[in-house]
Amino acid sequence: MSKLQKTLAGGAFTVVVELKPPKGTQVAEMLAPVGALQDRVAAFALPDNEHARMRLAPWAAARLVKDAGAEPLVNLTCRDRNRLALESDLLGAAALGLENLLLVSGDYVTLGDHPQAKPVYDADSVQLLQIVQGLMAGQDSAGNPLKGNPVFFPGAVVIPEADPLAPQLLKFDKKVAAGAQFFVTPPVFDLERFRQFKEHMPSHPVKLLAGIKVLGADEVAQAAAGQWRKVYSLPPDLLAELSGKEAEEVLALGAAQAGRLLKQIKDEKLADGVYLKAKGRTDLMMRVLEAAGLQHKG
Amino acid sequence: MIIAERKPFAEIKAMVAPYKKILIIGCGTCVAVCLAGGEKEVGLLASQLKLALGLEDKRLEIGEITVERQCDLEFLRPLCDFTADYEAIISMACGAGVQYLKQLCYLQPIFPGVNTSFIGVNNEPGYYTERCRACNHCYLGLTGGICPVTMCPKGLLNGPCGGTIQGRCEADPEKECAWSKIYHRLELEGSLDKMRRIMPLHPHDRSTTPGTVIHPAFKRRYGAHE
Repeated sequence: MSKLQKTLAGGAFTVVVELKPPKGTQVAEMLAPVGALQDRVAAFALPDNEHARMRLAPWAAARLVKDAGAEPLVNLTCRDRNRLALESDLLGAAALGLENLLLVSGDYVTLGDHPQAKPVYDADSVQLLQIVQGLMAGQDSAGNPLKGNPVFFPGAVVIPEADPLAPQLLKFDKKVAAGAQFFVTPPVFDLERFRQFKEHMPSHPVKLLAGIKVLGADEVAQAAAGQWRKVYSLPPDLLAELSGKEAEEVLALGAAQAGRLLKQIKDEKLADGVYLKAKGRTDLMMRVLEAAGLQHKG
Repeated sequence: MIIAERKPFAEIKAMVAPYKKILIIGCGTCVAVCLAGGEKEVGLLASQLKLALGLEDKRLEIGEITVERQCDLEFLRPLCDFTADYEAIISMACGAGVQYLKQLCYLQPIFPGVNTSFIGVNNEPGYYTERCRACNHCYLGLTGGICPVTMCPKGLLNGPCGGTIQGRCEADPEKECAWSKIYHRLELEGSLDKMRRIMPLHPHDRSTTPGTVIHPAFKRRYGAHE
């Protein structure tokens, strides 16, 4: 059982922090938060070519996190690999001692920095969860036996502000049926909408990590210009507070606001933990955790 | 039907630049309906080429002919003698027609006059949209008559991705999310259980190599083909 799984199973409020694998081979910056924060967070997540922008492979980054003494969470998308590559990478991850997985479809290629690349999606996220279950049971997706079964702790994504919500909830049920043991949401800014989602959320014995994000000036400008196209909304009063400020000031205010949200989610027990996105910057992560009053792990 | 778009004029002009006498062959079926490669479009291209080259003091002799279907030997065979007089051929058919024509007219260079776009529908003259990827494994009975392989850019089989915003597609906000529509259709049909079932991985082996379909009657009469 992975440390992340134990932490969640133990019922402690769990903080996962997302790192930024580099576009290149200089990994020091990516790893900086690990040394600074590993006593405060349960795991460090490694996105997989996030937003369809090519970066260092998540399983390699995850192994570096592990070597640095911390617990990694590998994200794996269906966008860039067919079933052979997915399974092969999963076995590779297991061989490197990586157990925690966040399995997603993946943002579409045309939204990223290689828009002419071939989108793969040989499996979807539900099927990828099934592939993981199969591997753990000793079989690849074609039914061939494995020599040595991997052990994983698979998670998936659910979208609380999905519009329409009903198809998303149906898919949530399918992901649970396919073996997802925990769920991560996109960033939450509107707690009222999150509470409404929790009311609609089917009851399953799975853990939920609410997304927390430190907004940047570019995102604030985009939203202020009415060009916000995300699966989560920004409350107008937050936008007003952050608009027209210098980039670093936006980040500082954004981190304070993220910390307040985190604390509220923890205090109201709206989720089992959080998945924090803070630009991969240690200082911002610390500000968020301090603003939330989270000085120690768990 | 097959939808195509005529290639940009500059590209076609560059293709035929080395020749003095070319033949443009139109196709009277799909590409004629979608206004890309029928008799009218053959005439238009010929006029465009003549005008453009005339302005450069160059001469190009152009023959024009349109057959019912270039994907059918019955209509292609009569062309064989006719094409012999020309140095090069522009085929205005879809990719299938171009290849079939070249199989017969193998001595001359052949150039495609259109880009073959997709299998789609004629919404209105001039407005065509894709509906089918010819995956050889039809899901339409399970998905309310909307193809997830084609209409979802990710080809997802088990529901919407996380990128749907106000019912619009993550990859193309101009379009509705296919899975939102599928859900709505199945709900109206009273058959949402179809969507609750987990769909297995798609059998890509049914369409990864060039396809062959042999009708049972053909098989009975001639035995296995090739």
